[in-house]
Amino acid sequence: MNAISHYHASARTFDIPRVQVLLIFSRTLIYVTLILIMIVQAFPLVWMILTSIKNQREVFSSFLPTQIDLSNFQRIWNAIDLPRHLINSLYVTSLTVIIVVIVATLAGYVFARFHFRGKDALFYLFIGAMMIPGQAILIPMFQFLKSIGLLNTLTGLSFSYLGGAVAFSIFLMRSFFMSLPRELGDAGRIDGCGEFGVFWYVYLPLARPGVATVVIIQSMGIWNEFMFSNTFISSPGSKTIQAALFQAVGRYATDYAALSSGLILALIPIVTIYLVLQKQFVEGLTAGALKG
Amino acid sequence: MTQTRHPDPGLPAALRRNWPAIVFLSPAAIVLLVFMAIPMANSIVLSFQSWNGMSAPVWVGLRNYRALFGDRLFLIALGNTAYFTIVTVILQTTLPLLVACLLNAGIRGGVLFRTLYFMPVIISLAISGLLWAMIYEPNFGVLNEFLRSIGLGGLTQLWLADRRTVMPSIIAVSIWQSLGFYLVIYYAAMQNIPGELYDAAKIDSANALQRLWHVTVPMLRPVIVLVVVLNTINGIKVFDQIWVMTAGGPNHASDTLGTYLYSTSFGAMGSSNPQLGYATSIAIVILVLSFILSIVQIRLGRRQEIEY
Repeated sequence: MNAISHYHASARTFDIPRVQVLLIFSRTLIYVTLILIMIVQAFPLVWMILTSIKNQREVFSSFLPTQIDLSNFQRIWNAIDLPRHLINSLYVTSLTVIIVVIVATLAGYVFARFHFRGKDALFYLFIGAMMIPGQAILIPMFQFLKSIGLLNTLTGLSFSYLGGAVAFSIFLMRSFFMSLPRELGDAGRIDGCGEFGVFWYVYLPLARPGVATVVIIQSMGIWNEFMFSNTFISSPGSKTIQAALFQAVGRYATDYAALSSGLILALIPIVTIYLVLQKQFVEGLTAGALKG
Repeated sequence: MTQTRHPDPGLPAALRRNWPAIVFLSPAAIVLLVFMAIPMANSIVLSFQSWNGMSAPVWVGLRNYRALFGDRLFLIALGNTAYFTIVTVILQTTLPLLVACLLNAGIRGGVLFRTLYFMPVIISLAISGLLWAMIYEPNFGVLNEFLRSIGLGGLTQLWLADRRTVMPSIIAVSIWQSLGFYLVIYYAAMQNIPGELYDAAKIDSANALQRLWHVTVPMLRPVIVLVVVLNTINGIKVFDQIWVMTAGGPNHASDTLGTYLYSTSFGAMGSSNPQLGYATSIAIVILVLSFILSIVQIRLGRRQEIEY
């Protein structure tokens, strides 16, 4: 007790150094914490990369590879016909995203720029689909795709994503169009544009960042989707990359080097998109979350 | 667009005036009707039926729902879902907030940390599940290897094969994966808090924790509500990572509503007895739970003005 009050008294006498010491101490503490978290966050990824380039003897015996062995990539590439599954995923993702962008841009524009009775109610009805989890429509969607002959097809899988993806994208595009000045449209109308002209010549060119956001967020979501793709596609050759790797685990359970290589190959396209468009992606996420 | 110019001119005129809106909206309306509303309606109907997917469905009224509460496996799945949701909501709301505060404390290299923390977000739940299944593997997985190598061999576990450790292990993956996402949301919102508030708090000699509690948290209230809602929805419907890592095992110790639904319908497909009506009633439970809980949370968070 005495010692503590003595410490306080003396500390007050040398106020400035104490503040500086505290500052340096807390700075160091912050950095140490952040670096520890960084290690935890990065470790699994680093381990995956290291494992993918080890030869099979080293996989379980040493953390660092003694030499780089790229044959694992070749092994998984050929073993599960990886290019085919990557192309499947690419097809599903692009088809969905193209439809979603067209449909959601038009609808988002109306909700941002038109006025009519019942608009708000209609908007909430439309984006209400955001609240519906995939499980809630899994079984009827399975039956529906079966009845129209699109079960076990990539096009059918792509269609199954449309509802949720369109709802969220309308929400994003509406916020984006609302951020553009209203006067632009009025100027276009004075210049003799009709409603379609205003949309096509005035707003659509300006909407490119909004469209890019929708493209990135939806590409990532659909590329990464697992439940629908694992359920609606049964023939091995038509599986998406996510489902194909899941299948491969059964067959290559102990070939960690090959599996790690497969995971990395599945990540390359999406990580590339992310790295190129990272700013847009993060802005889109936070805009979707914060501005609404 | 011109609603105020004329007194209500009646429906045909309204249609004529709004026809561009109608044209623009119809593709979305068709998509949402065909790929969301109709399947959803079918789900509701199906949940009152008994159906094996082959013969004609039989109307059974509330029997599926009543059966749920006598089904031991459903109750286990419900309990595990509650466990997963409560723990992830608490940890995935608070941890990213604390890390965002550290990043916001005026240090250098914040962008680098933020980018690295974010990397797991890009990876799909299925792939991160596969990756972590390798890490958790009891015999040669790197986690147990690591524990043995630093002399803590006594702490090694059958992470995903032991009913006591399986849920915490899965939850750890969820935290690892989502930290960057919520961090970025918090961090962006923090940039909008006026610096004067912190200066004022400092003048009142509030320490860092007090500033967090009395300035940051109240200012971030709408965002915190949003993060809680997102975490709740994700928790109630959790499926991918669990299916990939354990498929609900060992002996249902990690079964959630999502995985139980799946094994009741598609997991059992081709085997003896797919119960599509029963499985759909589980889907409706998931839907209703996530709906009610998000409404409650949004209402509770509404003391300050939030616009969604």
